[in-house]
Amino acid sequence: MIVCPNCKHTNMAGTMFCSECGAQLVGKDSLITQNIAPGQDEVLPQGPSVPPRSYQPGGADAWGSLHLLDTGQVLPLTGRNEFTLGRISEGQPIMPDIDLSPYQAYASGVSRLHAVVKRDGGRIIIMDLGSANGTYINGKRVVTNVEQILNHGDIVALGKLKIQVLLKS
Amino acid sequence: MPISKSDHYAVLGVLRDATQEEIKRAYFEAAQKLHPDKNVAPGETELFLEIQQAYEVLSSPQRRSQYDATLPPDLGMNTLVKHQVFFSRPNLVKLNEPQLVYVLVEISQRDETEKIPTPPLNICLVLDRSTSMQGEKLDMVKAAAIQFIRSLRPQDIFSVVAFSDRPEVIVPASLQMDRAKQESRIQMMKPFGATEIFQGLEAGVKEVRHGLDPSRVNHIILLTDGHTYGDEQASLELAEQVAQQNIGITGMGIGNEWNDIFLDAIASRTGSSSSYISSPKDIQNLLVKKFKALANTFADEVILEFKQQDGVQMNYAFRLQPEGGPLTVEPQMRLGPILQDAPLHFLIEFVVQPSALKNETIALLDGSLKISIAARPTPVPPIRLRLTRDVKTDAAPSPPPTKVLRALSRLTLYRMQERAHTEVEVGNYESASRHLHNLASHLLSQGEQQLAKTALLEADHIERMHNWSAGGDKAIKYHTRALLLNSVKEKEQ
Repeated sequence: MIVCPNCKHTNMAGTMFCSECGAQLVGKDSLITQNIAPGQDEVLPQGPSVPPRSYQPGGADAWGSLHLLDTGQVLPLTGRNEFTLGRISEGQPIMPDIDLSPYQAYASGVSRLHAVVKRDGGRIIIMDLGSANGTYINGKRVVTNVEQILNHGDIVALGKLKIQVLLKS
Repeated sequence: MPISKSDHYAVLGVLRDATQEEIKRAYFEAAQKLHPDKNVAPGETELFLEIQQAYEVLSSPQRRSQYDATLPPDLGMNTLVKHQVFFSRPNLVKLNEPQLVYVLVEISQRDETEKIPTPPLNICLVLDRSTSMQGEKLDMVKAAAIQFIRSLRPQDIFSVVAFSDRPEVIVPASLQMDRAKQESRIQMMKPFGATEIFQGLEAGVKEVRHGLDPSRVNHIILLTDGHTYGDEQASLELAEQVAQQNIGITGMGIGNEWNDIFLDAIASRTGSSSSYISSPKDIQNLLVKKFKALANTFADEVILEFKQQDGVQMNYAFRLQPEGGPLTVEPQMRLGPILQDAPLHFLIEFVVQPSALKNETIALLDGSLKISIAARPTPVPPIRLRLTRDVKTDAAPSPPPTKVLRALSRLTLYRMQERAHTEVEVGNYESASRHLHNLASHLLSQGEQQLAKTALLEADHIERMHNWSAGGDKAIKYHTRALLLNSVKEKEQ
């Protein structure tokens, strides 16, 4: 038997999607283990959690990557020095470089053009672009249109969407 | 062995290692169908004689072994068709409770085979002309039927039947002789009467049988906009009968008032499926698409014959492509066609009871795939399909194949919609609405905003009105079904 973590419905062993609510039950075990320790979901910790140093973010040519804590995906930052983050919606003229809508961006309160992450020499910088629900670094809200330096392991929240920043040292 | 002469096993459609019993059964089945007293199409008497000859040889073990010695060694593979199987789990686990396992089977034309010409068609359009069709619907149907005639090739046989509470043959089955006359006859169709699908279907079957020929793709396209009353059972029985002759029936429903479950049931009995036409403008589009698919047929029918294994139940079967649709689970399952450019993919859900897990391995299914290729004069040897899994004490940690996962994630959406349907039927409106809410949130996460919105509106409607909105149920059903097709296309890119 498998109890669905989403709706507590009991499914037969071997079920892949909950027959009651449709939640995926298998095939993402590897992703779940990437989640950080419990408790961080509710209150952001004081200090950044330290990710394993052996981790190579996003392949050889990436200068860093974004680890989406809720869904476990890792998005590499590669190919250019500046990425705008946001979500694509209908009839929108300006597209973000990284579209977060597959990761519940809408429900988490991510703005269409929320923030920009860029590399400036050795420094990695994030700047809020006037989002509706704000950008937070390790739980502290940043001032709109002011650049902030990011460190390896920082947890950035766009609205409620939490992303761990993994940088290549 | 000269190619023109097929071997006795292929003639009977049995495998080389078939038991005497299987040979006997295959012979009886074929003989019943092709007996000179009963057969309809030209060439079937010759086929019957061949079958008799084959049975005479194979029914005696002595003659059979003599004959076997003259055959080239069985390569154990089919030269025309290949198939691939994907399991959701690498092995089953010894448990004291029932468990599920999913199997995805893909059957396609072998790339290296010689190009087989597309078979000629034998098609009948069965058109609803009841009073409810009056106006735009009937005009569009006429225009689409005329367009259909114009796209036919010289070798195609074509007929049109119009029906309401009685049928009328508008264009009798023929190779197109006088196109202008046929077109004007279609134009003159007038609406009257009520919808009685069996009437139309029966007349359509009669027309198709006139031109029935195993080397053609024999197909009926039924276009209707209404419910039929009282003749459902007769229609289903007729569908089963014609399926035996490899005649397919596609159902197309226009607007909101037709019975999708009934049309699906008719179509799936013949290995085909139904589609939903929300606006009359789409009729032409859909007919053109259907024509292309039929004209592009590689194998006109694949049949899965199997024996149910003890403690294993085939719970659900669904064809993902070429046309998405539920499959009727029966000992002889009609899986539908393989197209030249679209292989056949289907997914099966098995429930395995603890009693079946006594041994080291378990057979989920033991059967064979029979493939009929219309354009090829000699029968194709069947493919053995044995689905087995090891039984272990621990679950394997490896994740399921992406293909299975992706197909299932979309199929889950379709089944949630089905559950909402059953809940509405038994009057469980709250639960139906909850399922639609769940469906909507999954649709949103897969980027299907439009459909998610429709599902939410529908959930709201069910809560307030205790029923589906007009057309809302069909829109959700056929659109989630279309998502399945997309999932197949995405993964091939």
